[in-house]
Amino acid sequence: MAVQDSQRFRLNLLGIVVLSLFAALFARLYYLQVLTEAEFQEAARTNVERVIPIQAPRGRILDTEGRVLVDNQTTLVVTVDAFVVRDQLTSPELRQDLSLRLARALSESGRLTKAADIRAELEDSKYGPFDKIPVAEGVTQEFKVWLLERQADFTGVEIQPVTVRYYPYGVAAAHVLGYIGPINESELELRASSLKAYQPFDDIGKAGVELAFEDVLRGVPGNQRLVVDARGNIVEYGEVTSPEPGNDIQLTIDIDLQVMAEQELVAGLERARLEIDSNGTGDFFNAPAGVTVILDPDGSAVLAMASYPSYDPRDFVEGISAEQFEVLVDESAGAPLNNRAIQGLYAPGSTFKPFTAYAAMNAGLISDRGALTQFSPLNDPGFFVLPGCDGGKCEFQNANRTPYGPVDLRAAITVSSDVYFYQLAWFFESFAGVRRESLQEGAEAFGFGTRTGVPLAYEADGLIPTPSLKEQRHEDFPEAFPEGRWFAGDTLNTAIGQGDMGVTPLQIANAYAVFANGGSLYSPSIAKASINPGTLQVELDYEPRLLNRLYMPAAVRDPIIDGLKGVPIDDRGTAREAFETFPNAQYPIAGKTGTSEKTGKSDFALFAAFGPADDPDYVIVTVLEEAGFGGEVAAPVVKQLFEAIALDAVPTAVPEDLDYLRQPNVLPVSSDEDPATDQQALAVDQEN
Amino acid sequence: MARTLNPRNDPNAPWYHLDPLVVIAPFGLAIVGLAAIYSTTRGTDPEAYRTFYLERQLVFVVLGVGVMVAAAVIDYQKLRALAPALYALGILSLVAVLSPLGSNVNGAQAWFNVGPFGLQPSEFMKLAVIVLLASYLSRFEGHLGLGRLVIALIVAAIPMGLIAMQPDVGTLLVFVAIVMGMFLVGGAQFRHIVALTLLGVGLVAFMVNSPVLEEYQRDRLTTFINPDLDAEGAGFNQEQAQIAIGNGGLTGQGYGEGDQTRSGLVPEQETDFIFTVVGEELGFVGSSLVLGLFALLIWRVWRAAQLAKDQFGTLLCVGIATMIVFQMFESIGMTAGIMPVTGIPLPFISYGGSSSLVSFMSVGLVLNVRMRRWQ
Repeated sequence: MAVQDSQRFRLNLLGIVVLSLFAALFARLYYLQVLTEAEFQEAARTNVERVIPIQAPRGRILDTEGRVLVDNQTTLVVTVDAFVVRDQLTSPELRQDLSLRLARALSESGRLTKAADIRAELEDSKYGPFDKIPVAEGVTQEFKVWLLERQADFTGVEIQPVTVRYYPYGVAAAHVLGYIGPINESELELRASSLKAYQPFDDIGKAGVELAFEDVLRGVPGNQRLVVDARGNIVEYGEVTSPEPGNDIQLTIDIDLQVMAEQELVAGLERARLEIDSNGTGDFFNAPAGVTVILDPDGSAVLAMASYPSYDPRDFVEGISAEQFEVLVDESAGAPLNNRAIQGLYAPGSTFKPFTAYAAMNAGLISDRGALTQFSPLNDPGFFVLPGCDGGKCEFQNANRTPYGPVDLRAAITVSSDVYFYQLAWFFESFAGVRRESLQEGAEAFGFGTRTGVPLAYEADGLIPTPSLKEQRHEDFPEAFPEGRWFAGDTLNTAIGQGDMGVTPLQIANAYAVFANGGSLYSPSIAKASINPGTLQVELDYEPRLLNRLYMPAAVRDPIIDGLKGVPIDDRGTAREAFETFPNAQYPIAGKTGTSEKTGKSDFALFAAFGPADDPDYVIVTVLEEAGFGGEVAAPVVKQLFEAIALDAVPTAVPEDLDYLRQPNVLPVSSDEDPATDQQALAVDQEN
Repeated sequence: MARTLNPRNDPNAPWYHLDPLVVIAPFGLAIVGLAAIYSTTRGTDPEAYRTFYLERQLVFVVLGVGVMVAAAVIDYQKLRALAPALYALGILSLVAVLSPLGSNVNGAQAWFNVGPFGLQPSEFMKLAVIVLLASYLSRFEGHLGLGRLVIALIVAAIPMGLIAMQPDVGTLLVFVAIVMGMFLVGGAQFRHIVALTLLGVGLVAFMVNSPVLEEYQRDRLTTFINPDLDAEGAGFNQEQAQIAIGNGGLTGQGYGEGDQTRSGLVPEQETDFIFTVVGEELGFVGSSLVLGLFALLIWRVWRAAQLAKDQFGTLLCVGIATMIVFQMFESIGMTAGIMPVTGIPLPFISYGGSSSLVSFMSVGLVLNVRMRRWQ
């Protein structure tokens, strides 16, 4: 009975709660709809403030001397007002009619356009009610006039100026500059809290400098406030916040050197393709790809970075189709979008020997109390037999099993004696008091195995094999790496830059820069300043970033440099033929050839050099894939570049539009000049 | 009068006790719903009005009537035995919808695509939980100790957890309302109810300040407290909804004439925000009519709860009443600016297959309980 009573009471309680909810709703609706009706009817008529964003011009990209590499250009875009479409073009027939007339007019003006494409845009739901729907880009000024005269027939159709990227030097430096494209959802999310707010149709840097310096290049968008009534009519124009243009970025790249490096790279590959690979495939060399990197060894500023095959950044200006993009990332087509200077991993081959030599001296192997001194000759009979070897590969040979006779450290580098370095490797394995891995540690001190930190995305780490890495890799992927044990032969391969070693051309150049500048490892830079386009003030100076100071007294450095200096001039130097005509007396070069083997492919050719050898200004590294011997094909590419530098004959790069040649828009940054002088100088320049 | 409903004049036949108002009120609401859906989805081109949504909703209503009849015919006592199986099936489908089998709409992984239709298992789960809780709680004749209460809570918490993972805050809140209503009438001690309420408030406070909710959901809850915070997002939606309703005035702008409805300023207008169409185009008179129809229905469901022959029947009706009341209060309340914005359909009115089927099925069960009060 009590239960019944209790339940009755509780049901009544529930009823009271429900009643009060109904009463609340009823009261609220009475308030909204009867008591304050007039207020809301007013609000429904003039109620929305719309904020229409105004794009800010993106900063330009300049070369080291202030020459413009990426500029903004205005192109005319035909747009249709989304509001007009919604309000007046209410039936499919009306939309089809406008699309047809517009497509015909555009096609007659020379810009072939399909009516179906226009109509598809008009009906695309991604556009908001106040957007201007773009239907055709890059129309002529004449078309604009033609349309203005017939505005009555084309209500809602407008011609808007839109800024797009312009590349005065065309395809040059494509990998460094990168490209921009419409922001995608994840990028939008990532930058949701960015000061420089992004809208769903905004462009954003996708690669290269455009990506790395997005925050500098992008301007702060402005906006226009509009008051719009419920039917979308603009009732009032509110305040305008002007956009703030993005800053210009001045690069360390020298466009003259860049263009020449690209041309010489292609020329080198073309020469290689005329030769037959008699040691390998027996057919003409493929030579499908290559890299040249030029660094300033004092601070590792990147002066030129050429990667072949390349792409045309202009393809991205009006949007790129999925099929076009597929080709650009297709491995079998050489993945032209890849920047091989930072993404390509190569076995350095003999270009690695100076680092083995450094490690041997640093570990005390080559010293008065070590296994040998820098002057002790070792006999090189053309092959090296691993002591105590029982089974497996026991004999390691020079290229072609060439015997070099007695060689000391200097000569071993000059003639590129593998046997000498096999012997060193064996000492790393066996000499009392020397740890085996001081070889790898030496290489790592030069930056191998770690990203250099150049401000470009997608840089590879590379790999210097060690016993623990090999074991780890075997444990992780036993199928792909069936062997986890470390053999003496692995140390031998490491010592001459073969085996599983993978390094980027930029890492090689940066490591040679350490020898060139006497022991400082820098993180390579690609930009030197951010410049406010309004005031021309330098707002940010990018200083060289020191990563490591290596112990490198003359006693360690000199024999190695001496060995490298012999490479282009010594009778037995591996690059002597390539440098036959080079003015080495005025401009001495220190360099090293490398030829790395890849199973099933022709040899990869490498050459790394710096000059002038005694006070180096340039480090140049060239890698040619599947192209033969380093001394025969890679060294000539580097030689051509050094020759032009030595004779001060690097040709001036010619932009498509000669206006860009006449005057640098911004003067080179130099720390001892104050910006005011720069401005005056610019003013003078502009008067000319 | 009642005799005409029963041709055989047999006072013992269930049909003799059928409550016509429980059928009439939902029908009235469904007609308002069809009209409102057509108004907001037909498009702006008078030459080519679209009937896509209207036609589909008509199908849902017809199917709904079939489901209602089915739910009324089979004696609800048989549901006791079926309850655990229904519940298990519901849980399975909630798990499956989180897997790649389900699909994501507006940020909630809550849908199965069945041919051209979307199926929302959480809607059906509401009924499964009501039936199982009613069956369980009624075993104790109103003596609900802490242990029994905890078991009942677990029964409800499992589907609620799965729905929180979708995440679908709106449906989650409906479950809270159902559970509280059934505990109240099922005989839970008042101190337990107070404790549960405090726990619930604490949980909401925690969720608002923690990363459990998606950001947009937190935005909605906090813009309710301060609508000026976010003029373009959730606060904007609610403000536009209120303007629409206020714009209706006493008699409305006229069917098909609402400025706000026409201009697409109110989002989700055929589903969660459907009441704005009624409010703007039919005015206070139309709003009152809808409220009145709901009041009529709830009164009859409440009466069925009172008259049920056993506590199982009572609790079934209580669960269904709280479900409908809460959904109505939330869906209308958010457009009127007295509740935070969450996606909950307005029963019988909003466009949607799962919601319509479940609403009609519920009133079928109420008919069922009421009809069999003497058997």
